[in-house]
Amino acid sequence: MKTFSSINRKIILDDDKILIKEILSGKESSFEEIMRKYNKKIFNFVLRMVRNEEIAIELTQDFFIKIFTKLYKYNFEYKFSTWAYRICYNLVVDYIRKNKTYVDSLDDDTTYKKDLYMRESAIKEDGADVLEREEVKSYLWKTVNSLPVKYKELVLLRYIQELKYDEISEVTSLPIGTVKNRIFKAKDLLRKEIEKDGMLEK
Amino acid sequence: MECLKNKKIQEYVDRSLNRVESSIIRDHLIVCGKCRAKYDQYKKMEKLLINPVYKEPPAKIEKFVLNRLFSKIPTYSSIFALISLSFILLVSWIYVYFDFDNNSIIQAFKLTSNSAFNWITSIITFISNVFSSVYAIFKVLNKLFMIIFNVNIGTQLFGLIILSIFTSAFYFVLRIVYKKLKEHN
Repeated sequence: MKTFSSINRKIILDDDKILIKEILSGKESSFEEIMRKYNKKIFNFVLRMVRNEEIAIELTQDFFIKIFTKLYKYNFEYKFSTWAYRICYNLVVDYIRKNKTYVDSLDDDTTYKKDLYMRESAIKEDGADVLEREEVKSYLWKTVNSLPVKYKELVLLRYIQELKYDEISEVTSLPIGTVKNRIFKAKDLLRKEIEKDGMLEK
Repeated sequence: MECLKNKKIQEYVDRSLNRVESSIIRDHLIVCGKCRAKYDQYKKMEKLLINPVYKEPPAKIEKFVLNRLFSKIPTYSSIFALISLSFILLVSWIYVYFDFDNNSIIQAFKLTSNSAFNWITSIITFISNVFSSVYAIFKVLNKLFMIIFNVNIGTQLFGLIILSIFTSAFYFVLRIVYKKLKEHN
């Protein structure tokens, strides 16, 4: 996989773009389809960023309304998802900037960690592998939540939104090198955090 | 050979290295247990990250957005309010316009309703009674208008002007209420 390849700017009509064209010509069901397609990823990204379900719901709603009202500005040379994630990213970053103290004060991971650690040792005796894996996974994702915002946002864009490095760079307006380095750094932090609890040993 | 940097191992996991670089790393991983352990950890982590724990978004998100953007169906209460208020305004307009307060038919209805029970006559009597009082208010307002501005435009015309103003105000308010209703659903 070439990560530094230049982005092809030719207009290719993918599924999304066909749907957008239909929406612009007044077909409402196409917008529903777009919503259904992106709802999960957008909601989960926002939820992990703001860490409050009510706010995440509101922001996701705002996002879709914004997308719809701004759709006439969408440039078909770009991938729709990148354009949409960029709007989503800006919306969330704006929100966090305006409500910084609120978002930061929602740190509830320590209690979760203890709780999980106890369950973890209980599972070890049972030797339930699949369950264990799920537990490690959910623990890892909890740890992602507690990363500093500048790392967390990139990790979420990469793994929740499933973007490539160059797409993340477009969404966040950060240089691609910075994006890669921060994600590596974030994964280093994650690995060390999880290693502490010996969760990656098995 | 010295140990690999974390970044290099991660790039190897990512497959973002060129062939020469990856083969160097591969060779090192074979001989160095320490780096291989790290590589395994990154690899495991990558697997866990690639399949994230998604939370199902609540259905109300879609509902809210679609309602906000495409809702064309007004609520029953707003339709009812529209019809009844339009009816009241129409009746008042007709009443004032034809000067029913001094109309002989209405007077006749008023008289007959006293002797024989008939729901139509009682309704008409009720309406005419209400509007007679409204008409009286118009008369007073018209007199007031006459005193202040020194112009007499007649109670009837005065009443019509006031009613027209009310009608347009009513439709404006209705529009605003309707928009608000749409936002809330």
